[in-house]
Amino acid sequence: MTEKAIYVEHATKHFGDFKAVHNLSFEVNKATCFGLLGPNGAGKTTMMNMLTGRVRADSDNARIINVLGYDPLKNELEIRYLTGIVPQENNLDVELSVSQNLYIYSKFYGLPQNVASRRISELLEFMELTEKKEARIRELSGGMQRRLIIARALINSPHLLILDEPTTGLDPQVRQAIWDKMRMLKKTGVTIVLTTHYMDEAAQLCDDLIIMHKGEKILQGHPSALISKNLETYVLEILNTDVFSTIEAKGFRTEETAGRLMLYGDRLSSLETVTEPLNAGDFFLRPVNLEDLFLKVTGRSLHD
Amino acid sequence: MTKALLPQLIVTTPPPLAYRLYSIWYRHIRVYCKHLVSNGFPPFVEPLFFLAGVGLGLGHYVGLIDGTPYLLFLASGMIAPSSMFTAAFECTFGTFIRLEFDKAYDGMVSASITVTDLFVGEILFVGTKGFFFTLAVMSVFTVFGLVPSYYAILTPLVGFFAGMMFGALSLFVTSFVKTINHFNFFLTGCLTPMFFFSGIVFPITNLPEWIQWVSEVFPLTHSVRLIRACCLGQFSSLLFFDILFMAAFTIIFGYLAVSRLEKRLIQ
Repeated sequence: MTEKAIYVEHATKHFGDFKAVHNLSFEVNKATCFGLLGPNGAGKTTMMNMLTGRVRADSDNARIINVLGYDPLKNELEIRYLTGIVPQENNLDVELSVSQNLYIYSKFYGLPQNVASRRISELLEFMELTEKKEARIRELSGGMQRRLIIARALINSPHLLILDEPTTGLDPQVRQAIWDKMRMLKKTGVTIVLTTHYMDEAAQLCDDLIIMHKGEKILQGHPSALISKNLETYVLEILNTDVFSTIEAKGFRTEETAGRLMLYGDRLSSLETVTEPLNAGDFFLRPVNLEDLFLKVTGRSLHD
Repeated sequence: MTKALLPQLIVTTPPPLAYRLYSIWYRHIRVYCKHLVSNGFPPFVEPLFFLAGVGLGLGHYVGLIDGTPYLLFLASGMIAPSSMFTAAFECTFGTFIRLEFDKAYDGMVSASITVTDLFVGEILFVGTKGFFFTLAVMSVFTVFGLVPSYYAILTPLVGFFAGMMFGALSLFVTSFVKTINHFNFFLTGCLTPMFFFSGIVFPITNLPEWIQWVSEVFPLTHSVRLIRACCLGQFSSLLFFDILFMAAFTIIFGYLAVSRLEKRLIQ
């Protein structure tokens, strides 16, 4: 049996009357990547913060939260000592240099000076920041700052890495580079918990994920298994609103938004038949992806 | 649910309390010292201007106060507020910016640091600032021959505890504040009157009795009294009351501040 890193059963959190997380249960195996997906306000960050004691779960006898063998309500310090956290917002000390930022954090974990400096050069190397070692934070691009924050979260060689929207606002090169680093970390035995709004990111990294909506779990599973279980294989998106009325949509599951008509089907050839009278540029025919599933289960309306 | 399903415990020992407090203190010192000159210079020269302006100008008309020449009386009073102001600014504007704008605390409590460590460490840091500011002002006054007693060597120690006291008070105030402009109420509404009614510029003994009582409640009065005693070498057993007041004030407000700020950081 695979070893677990996190075990959560019946986790609930209210803020006043607002139910942020409701009766959530999941487990995360060691050295895997677990994703928490959901629209804004779904409770992803709240759930992640409950793992490290930053948010205290509502007391309930049925509730079990166990992270690396510890209960966050009793042993938050032990959990945080074993965990690296990458917050949503960058919070580097802008007055200090790149290596000083890492050195300050090494102190929080009580690393001896020689261990800290060795670890800092390793991490700068790993995150490709060695040249920026002495740079001030202001001189770094957004992607470099993000990489530095990830390096900072790794300073104490964590068993668990928690990432809250790690690649939001970054260019494709940086995103791909960060994904590669995450895969390398997973290989070394680090367990990763991730929230993201990018479905391609989740599909790339996650071995298991849950889609949350209004504090509750809607779906859980491996990304590709979830897609094949809950969706057709292909989707035809028709973008020209003028032709909607002429489309023969019988036999397909359809969805319509203000600017698009979507036909879902398992056979590519039958969808191609539909596209025959259409001009190129009026439609997209493509395999379904995690984003289609996400929108199907959380709805297309705006959540905030 | 059987226990066997739970994750296996990873045995670990986070750094002990003293080390955690030290690491917070070290962080603040490191960040503060990046701008040492611009941070440290103004509060250092301000007492000199005040002393020159009020002491030389007014001193001409004032004779002895309690047997002490006015300039010496004023100088020994002017050492105390430096520690108050540095602690108060650090733990109002400084703390609020770290809390709401920089999100520095969010990062720190995601390391192996508790909220209590965070703010006790910060109180120790402003105590340290109080120590050095008091030392600096006292040294300058000594050069000008305004500090007659060798016991003045003890004033930085009083400055350390005064810094902690005002740090605790200011953190308590900060725990209520929602927007940064609210600090004006505290700084102009509380600290300024405290400055004038704590026996710095004139002794409180000749004020109406009710004001005397009010000024006994002001924390600054007690640090002024202790520092003046050291500077002039005039000690009395009543000073134990001042030490006791400062200790109790720091502990009470420190405790309240930490527990209120904890609610703000841990939901």
